[in-house]
Amino acid sequence: MKVLVFLAGLLASTMAWANERTVTDDAGRSVTIPADPQRIVVMHEPVLGIPLIELGIVPVGSYGRAPSGKSLIGVDFIETIFDADIRKPEGIGTVGQISLEKLRSLKPDLILASELDLNKLDQLEPIAPVYIKHVRTPQTSGFNIQKQLAKLFRKEKEFETLQANYRERVRKLAQTLHKAEVNPSYLAVFLTDQINAIEQISGAIQAIEDLGYQRLSLGEQDIQRDSILFVPISSEVFGTLDPDLLVVMNSFQNRAADHKTGAKEALDQITPGWNYFLKPAKENRIVYLDSSKVTTPTIASANHTLDSIEAWLQTSSTNQ
Amino acid sequence: MRYLPTPGRSLDGRKVLRFENGTEIRTQNLSTALLLTLCICLLAAVSVHLGQTRISIQELLEALSGSVLDEEQDYALWTIRIPRLLMAFMVGWSIAIAGAVMQSLARNPLADPGLFGLNQGATTMILLLIVLVPAASKLMIMSSALIGGLLVATLLIWLVGGGARTHGLAILLMGIALETVLSSITSLLILYTPQEVSYALADWLAGSLFNATAENVLTFLPFFVFSFAGILLIGPCLSRYELGNDAAMALGLSIRLTRPLILGFAVLLSTAAVTSVGPLTFLGILAPHIAAFLTPLKGRARLFISGLVGGLLVISADVLTRSLESDIPVPIGLSLTLIGVPLFILALRLQAINRQTQH
Repeated sequence: MKVLVFLAGLLASTMAWANERTVTDDAGRSVTIPADPQRIVVMHEPVLGIPLIELGIVPVGSYGRAPSGKSLIGVDFIETIFDADIRKPEGIGTVGQISLEKLRSLKPDLILASELDLNKLDQLEPIAPVYIKHVRTPQTSGFNIQKQLAKLFRKEKEFETLQANYRERVRKLAQTLHKAEVNPSYLAVFLTDQINAIEQISGAIQAIEDLGYQRLSLGEQDIQRDSILFVPISSEVFGTLDPDLLVVMNSFQNRAADHKTGAKEALDQITPGWNYFLKPAKENRIVYLDSSKVTTPTIASANHTLDSIEAWLQTSSTNQ
Repeated sequence: MRYLPTPGRSLDGRKVLRFENGTEIRTQNLSTALLLTLCICLLAAVSVHLGQTRISIQELLEALSGSVLDEEQDYALWTIRIPRLLMAFMVGWSIAIAGAVMQSLARNPLADPGLFGLNQGATTMILLLIVLVPAASKLMIMSSALIGGLLVATLLIWLVGGGARTHGLAILLMGIALETVLSSITSLLILYTPQEVSYALADWLAGSLFNATAENVLTFLPFFVFSFAGILLIGPCLSRYELGNDAAMALGLSIRLTRPLILGFAVLLSTAAVTSVGPLTFLGILAPHIAAFLTPLKGRARLFISGLVGGLLVISADVLTRSLESDIPVPIGLSLTLIGVPLFILALRLQAINRQTQH
């Protein structure tokens, strides 16, 4: 009898251990997480949630959505990036007003947060284990976050399949691009009420660099490189720049009919007359991207970027 | 029985309760305090009832009398709602008292810790810490806020000369100058830090009771308890300050000694509140004025009733914020303005009408 009890205890203990694993997060914390988390809440949907959804894991909750599920950040990335009818995560309270009761009611088995949430650990940890994933450059760039999340959630195969398809598209597109230039340069800008050079985290930048373009040096303005998204550049400096490819994205908040018109209107306001003196504009070397589709650090965003570049190439060849 | 107060009338003919040691409490102040306490209790019940997890009034009363709730309800009540309620009251109480103290000290009804730059000193230090040390501990944040507030207070006293004859208006004007300089530093931080840090700063500046954990309530508790000692000690001095520095000195008050101490008291209360919920602008002006509208006040009673009004306003603002938990984020600072400013305007308008009728 004693042997049976001992064996049952041993089995239960082994099962418990098998259902959990201890990992070290990017903040250097040792976190015990479920072996196969089923109910994940993300604290940064565009940077942490969208990469997961592309890998096939839909979070149950997301910070940045209202309890009704409506996105509160000007754009619903799930709707714009994925064609499929994906179930949306529930919101855990409006920005700055996290509802801990709502969060707990979702019964999360893992909270995926960024270094921006370190000050919330005291409140989040009693609800579920919190894994901190660094989202700021220079620690992260391109698809790194998605690749690391794939490893964490044992979705490496899915990531490799997505990446292989993407690489094939890049290879084909690169053959038709910049045949004459050696080491062609690019500058990607994001328009708010000013012009901002985009940092390296997005799928758009990964795609442009995979196509063989190299980031145009901005001199001293390159020093400030600790943002997730971008660094501002003056419109005066912007007017003098001449990259081989200028990539322009407009703010998520712009309500223009399409992203291209919106971006042109924004440029008119920030740098009036840009289309007369900006060399890439005069020589049709501008690609307009829909920021709501291309700024997440995912292969999906990179694919949307390739779509826009292909469309630009077709328009260019038609005009010629 | 000898400690029981006896009813009587003050020199201006108002009903008072007189204690053996000479202390007088106006019955109108007492009834106002009781009414405010009743309002606070009612709003507290609403606040504790409000939220994702359903807790009926009966379950709430049973829980308060020691019954065990289910796990969800227990978490909602004891981990979220009660600490939030207590923090809201203590923070409102502290800011209102700090405001009342500053108004008496400056002999100016517009004065509050924000206008003197004390809140801004604390805020700037906290924002610098968020930018330079994003993973700073709560103790570091609290210490830096306190240092920021005390530095501004010390600088203020030094700049106005610290003399007994320095006019309250001089302190106020110097405070405004310091506040403006510090505000520009805050704006610089928001404008020129990376976008996401700037969002974090703006988020903090909007004010929130998200950090109202049981641990943080216990951290704040000594400041709250200390405020009672402050009310008892400082209250009578403030009545003399309201007569002007010369009259105060003639009544035996050492301005050189008391002014830094009173300023230090206001700094402690306001920085502790700023650290806990962010800057709740205008509350320091709002609460003492609404209190004065409710009943004629001076000395300790003014501080005490201002504190109650401040606590009531912040609890109301929190209830509004949580009941509007929809697609529109309403920070507690905004809720406070939505509730407090109409009351403030109403109080001032009624006072103006009153004066016109009397003349």
